[in-house]
Amino acid sequence: MSTAAPARVTGGTAGGARRDRWRTAYLPRALHPAAWWVWALGLATAASRTTNPLLLGLVIAVATLVVVARRGDAPWAMAFRLYVWVAVLVVVLRVAFRVVFGGGAGGPVLLDLPTVPLPEWVAGLTLFGPVTAQALLGGFYDGLRLATMIICVGAANALANPKRLLKAVPGALYEVGTAVVVALSLFPQLAESVLRVRRARRLRGGGGSGIRALRGVVVPVLEDALDRSLELAAAMDSRGYGRTEQVAPGSRVLAGVCTVGGLVGVCVGVYGLLDGTSPAVLGAPMLVLGVGLAAAGFGLSGRRVRRTHYRPDRWQVPEVVTAGAGVVVGLGVWLALSLDPAAVNPSLSPPVWPEVGLPALAAVLVGVVPAVATPRTPLTAEEVGA
Amino acid sequence: MSTRGTDSSPATGPLHAVRLGPRSATVVALASLAGLAMFLWPLLLTPDPASFGTRSDAPFVFMAVLPVLVLVVLAEISEGGMDAKALAMLGVLSAVNAALRPLGTGVAGIEVVFFVLVLAGRVYGPGFGFVLGCTSLFASGMLTAGVGPWLPFQMLCAAWIGLGAGLLPRRVTGRREIAMLAAYGVVVAYVFGMLMNLYFWPFVAGVDTTAGSLAYVPGAPVWDNLERFVVYTLVTSTAGWDTGRAVTNAVAIVVLGPALLATFRRAARRASFGARPTFGRSVRRRDPATSGYVTLPD
Repeated sequence: MSTAAPARVTGGTAGGARRDRWRTAYLPRALHPAAWWVWALGLATAASRTTNPLLLGLVIAVATLVVVARRGDAPWAMAFRLYVWVAVLVVVLRVAFRVVFGGGAGGPVLLDLPTVPLPEWVAGLTLFGPVTAQALLGGFYDGLRLATMIICVGAANALANPKRLLKAVPGALYEVGTAVVVALSLFPQLAESVLRVRRARRLRGGGGSGIRALRGVVVPVLEDALDRSLELAAAMDSRGYGRTEQVAPGSRVLAGVCTVGGLVGVCVGVYGLLDGTSPAVLGAPMLVLGVGLAAAGFGLSGRRVRRTHYRPDRWQVPEVVTAGAGVVVGLGVWLALSLDPAAVNPSLSPPVWPEVGLPALAAVLVGVVPAVATPRTPLTAEEVGA
Repeated sequence: MSTRGTDSSPATGPLHAVRLGPRSATVVALASLAGLAMFLWPLLLTPDPASFGTRSDAPFVFMAVLPVLVLVVLAEISEGGMDAKALAMLGVLSAVNAALRPLGTGVAGIEVVFFVLVLAGRVYGPGFGFVLGCTSLFASGMLTAGVGPWLPFQMLCAAWIGLGAGLLPRRVTGRREIAMLAAYGVVVAYVFGMLMNLYFWPFVAGVDTTAGSLAYVPGAPVWDNLERFVVYTLVTSTAGWDTGRAVTNAVAIVVLGPALLATFRRAARRASFGARPTFGRSVRRRDPATSGYVTLPD
């Protein structure tokens, strides 16, 4: 960023340099996208632990507040409301299912709808029937949990610049990440290609409609796109794409062993998790071990790629604060609820007002720190002008 | 792997734009096994009798594990480097798929992503199909704000579709090939709908132990849950979305398939995937397919 230059010039003493670095870190800029993702996944982890509507509501409020405070005006930032709509849809569907197909009987009857029995071949289903408070609340609580997680992911999408995230993919995913970058940058050209082909068809007097016309547009557009891909590949080759680091053969074998071993661990872990009768060691611990091993293999296989970065996103104080806040929320809520199991799933029979302890609330509230402790996201116009 | 002009059937010869070696194949198989279990968990789960009645956290654990799994597999497939031409082709076809995807939304069940995926998987091989399934849905998720907990599941499903298309018998050609691909497109449309429903079923219909509802009952016999699930999926999607998707797939493959297959094969021949430059003694021979000279290893 050009705005960083004057700060670097004025830094004379060591203390001054540190102060300048601090100030530079808080100049308007887009935060490292991974920091936002860690923060959002921390909130989502907290939400996945509970069906307590007070806690979930607070998580939604925290995520929304930070989004409103720190999003820019890019298209992905505007997509947050889409996620909110999906979340609302999940809750509505969940409750509607309870009303239409029944389930969760017990508790006071709120609405006595007539029961419609269905024939035997549809699993002995009955439609409608008495709607109880417990059924509605249960559906609402469960739906709210998934809805909150969706809103958390939506917050990450609104705040993190996807293009910068792709730039920061680990070495092992270099090729696949590049393919996605190619896809995203070629996407607008497809529309232009379609227009060009249609104009050419009209000039030749070959308008028409129907299947022949469809084929007449689709095939040239695809040919065009594939030709372009070969040109792009030639350009990449001539610029040194595919240069790999010399890696000792042992390292490759080790990476392979780690990946395969890790996946075997994941398979066993999934089995252990699903089969409640197997020893507990085969469940979550095995899964964690497997994922860890596979991740190690992932890291090892990424060592062969050496890249240079143009204007890399650096990991500075605000990034640490943001990611840290997410980790604190995830771990804090997890711990607080382990100590206070009554707050995890509020009682449905009888339906009581849900209660939350202060530690869990405080842990969720830490998530709001990035709303103030991060630099403002510059608007698109400012970035272009910078 | 052959770029020899003497190859009598360049259109049907095995072509691997992205090679799946034994090690990658093992990793794909293991990850598919674990991934399938994460889709099918409602049917497989047998809760601990001691803790019966408590909520299962398994689906939330899977939501966290599956993305890692998909990334590990993708890293493993591209381990050892990917051909620049294959990579550019992946990018372009992902862009095409991402552009096709929003065309259908809004009109019930018109889903046009899969037909390009099926055709490309058929021509460029299983490894390419697998990666294309992942990158297509990821790119489309990024373009249309579809990144959510469901994305890794959709990616894996689409990856299987591409992989399966690449594994279909090679010998079938001509009209029968189109018929086979169209049938595959229909099957895949329903399987995709079923798997995605199965993944989402416990979240929408709920986990319950009351009889007579559509909810998922943990620990009930597999057939009971399967029956409930089948009713759920028939009621919610098979008639509308899935059938729409199947019809679009079949029609698109029959109408556009021959032309697109030819286009893809032409591009594949021009790209001559897997041809490695060799140094030393060699023979130069005119290659009619690429209308250029190909240096063949001696």
